[in-house]
Amino acid sequence: MHERTVTIAHLYPELLNLYGDSGNILVLRKRLLWRDLRCVVNEVHMGDKASLADADLVFIGGGSDREQTIVCDELRSMQSELRSYVEDGGVLLAVCGGYQLLGHSYLMGDEEVRGLSLVDLYTDRGSPRLIGNVVVQSRICAQPIVGYENHGGRTHLGSGIEPLGSVLHGYGNDGTSGAEGCLYKNVIGTYVHGPLLPKNPGVADWLLARALERRYGTAELPSLDDAEELAANRAMLDRLLP
Amino acid sequence: MRIRTAAAICAGKLARWMLHDVLRRQASQLPGRIALQLDPCALEALAIKARQGTIVVCGTNGKTTTTNLVADALAAQGKHILCNRDGANMLPGVVSALLPRHRADWAVIEADELSTIHILPQLKPTYLVLLNLFRDQLDRAGEIDHVQDTLVRALEASPDTALVACGDDPLCMGVAVRAQRNGTKVLTFGIAQDLGRTPDRVPEARFCQLCGAELVYAYRAYAQLGDFRCPSCDFARPPLDFAARDVHRDAHGMRFATVRTHTQDVWHVHTPSSGAYMIYNLLAAASAAQLAGVDERHFVQAIDAFHPDNGRLQRFVVDGRDVVLNLAKNPTGLNQNLDLLLSDARPKALHLVLNDNPNDGRDVSWIWDVDFERLGGRADVSRITVGGTRAHDLQVRLKYAGLPAAVTSSVSQALADARDLSSTTPLYVLTNYSALQPTKDELQRKARHHA
Repeated sequence: MHERTVTIAHLYPELLNLYGDSGNILVLRKRLLWRDLRCVVNEVHMGDKASLADADLVFIGGGSDREQTIVCDELRSMQSELRSYVEDGGVLLAVCGGYQLLGHSYLMGDEEVRGLSLVDLYTDRGSPRLIGNVVVQSRICAQPIVGYENHGGRTHLGSGIEPLGSVLHGYGNDGTSGAEGCLYKNVIGTYVHGPLLPKNPGVADWLLARALERRYGTAELPSLDDAEELAANRAMLDRLLP
Repeated sequence: MRIRTAAAICAGKLARWMLHDVLRRQASQLPGRIALQLDPCALEALAIKARQGTIVVCGTNGKTTTTNLVADALAAQGKHILCNRDGANMLPGVVSALLPRHRADWAVIEADELSTIHILPQLKPTYLVLLNLFRDQLDRAGEIDHVQDTLVRALEASPDTALVACGDDPLCMGVAVRAQRNGTKVLTFGIAQDLGRTPDRVPEARFCQLCGAELVYAYRAYAQLGDFRCPSCDFARPPLDFAARDVHRDAHGMRFATVRTHTQDVWHVHTPSSGAYMIYNLLAAASAAQLAGVDERHFVQAIDAFHPDNGRLQRFVVDGRDVVLNLAKNPTGLNQNLDLLLSDARPKALHLVLNDNPNDGRDVSWIWDVDFERLGGRADVSRITVGGTRAHDLQVRLKYAGLPAAVTSSVSQALADARDLSSTTPLYVLTNYSALQPTKDELQRKARHHA
């Protein structure tokens, strides 16, 4: 078969769907279809015996505290498989609560919850919640990343971990370091929640290119007309940046 | 009454008289704010003005419509009413609504869900009507768990208030079960038949409020509302105290019966609307009205005369074109509006407005949870335009649903853009909160100008 396929594993969509997370999957799917590439989305539900052998891209969304804890317990059974996937260059996008799960630990109330330790980072808590529009300059795409963040957690990156980008507007990981998200091998973790990808087509295409590269050895992606996406991105930049 | 309280109420009334009677301005907030400045407990003193009782209405969607219906029904019954009709539903708005008149028979009060914790302990209403709970303004209201906790605490602080809750909504019943444990009397309403609607794509609440197992449904009306039960514990839709039955849809809207289980009283209700959510609004209003002593004749009289002029499903004619304006501020509300639009057999145009002002919620992520895909491949939706401070976000969302949409500056521009469409093509205008009033004013001017 010369028809290239990208298989997306969407983890626990029934629990991690707080802020329009399904929008990210929709964008990945459409951007493959518009290029005549095949897209398969495997939803992994609670209790499923999931395998990442076929996965080219794993997506973990955000949920409320309660839902995040349920998911974290479930994911621990996949911890070693997830770790091999990540170390092998597997592509993974984790948003908001999903981002916190990537690290060694996070706080649920005052209780420390053990995370998946896929990336050297940990999350504690601060006050107030960091809420609002956010703009991030990242090396993975030309256009700054725009979106919305809403988190009580403060995420601290290990010394060897690169942030996704630097904050041009908003708070990012902890509101003080100027760093937002993490970029580790082909893993992106970010507080830019819900529909991260629609207004940031460069991030979507970076993920797809990495997935194709790993599976087929070539990252080649035909270009698309992104006039509407870039206009929406530009509208937020014009509003938020001086 | 304490002197401080008397002074506060007096100052509030004076402000109201100045604004409303002298300056002819809106007086839905400021008088209450002034009274509360002087006495934060002013509401407690005002509460006794309603001699026969007070009904508070809350819930994510449908508050304003239901509140107005209950007030109209009581007024048709000959009762004197105090009501915050224009939807100023936080503490200052509620105080403002109770300032006029010396006495009334009933107060009918719309309350913001999170404001119930400030309103209920002082107002101590006879009934709290809880319509539904959906995700809405996550950045402001927080997660639904928090809204539920607040309602439970508000009811705890007003122990004689009976809760009239939607029995079809697991999230409302989550509140009801906890309130009942604290001694609150609970009555429920719901739709006792399968309406045969397609379920929404992104579910609001799939899990049992008590044990966390996935709920199963005999049928759903919309979103998470339906005949639900938990497979692993006894959490389930309760036996309904007020039930809608025999729902029939036709070209003129819907007719159905409301049955009060306790007395077997049956009311026959008709509405020009066809949305499932409207059955719930009318059923909730009928339940509250019956509890307050309204009879069928006066209730029906009130809903037949109900022509909203507050932008909620308000109709206009501009240049011979029907224009339907409605509020849509969260995924469930917008999904219901799309159903409403698709139930109109005519070809139609759609204008969507999305703002991100503070009272809208600044986070517009929720548009990705709306099932715009339902409009895909429909030849009868002939044009879509988008507006508001987040028009571009809507345009991108629609692009990914396979729906081309042009950005426009205003509803007037949307009407101008639709000029080449036959005048028999109605324009549906759906806006979120802060865009509603200006859009309504603009449509009113145009409708009057061309009348």
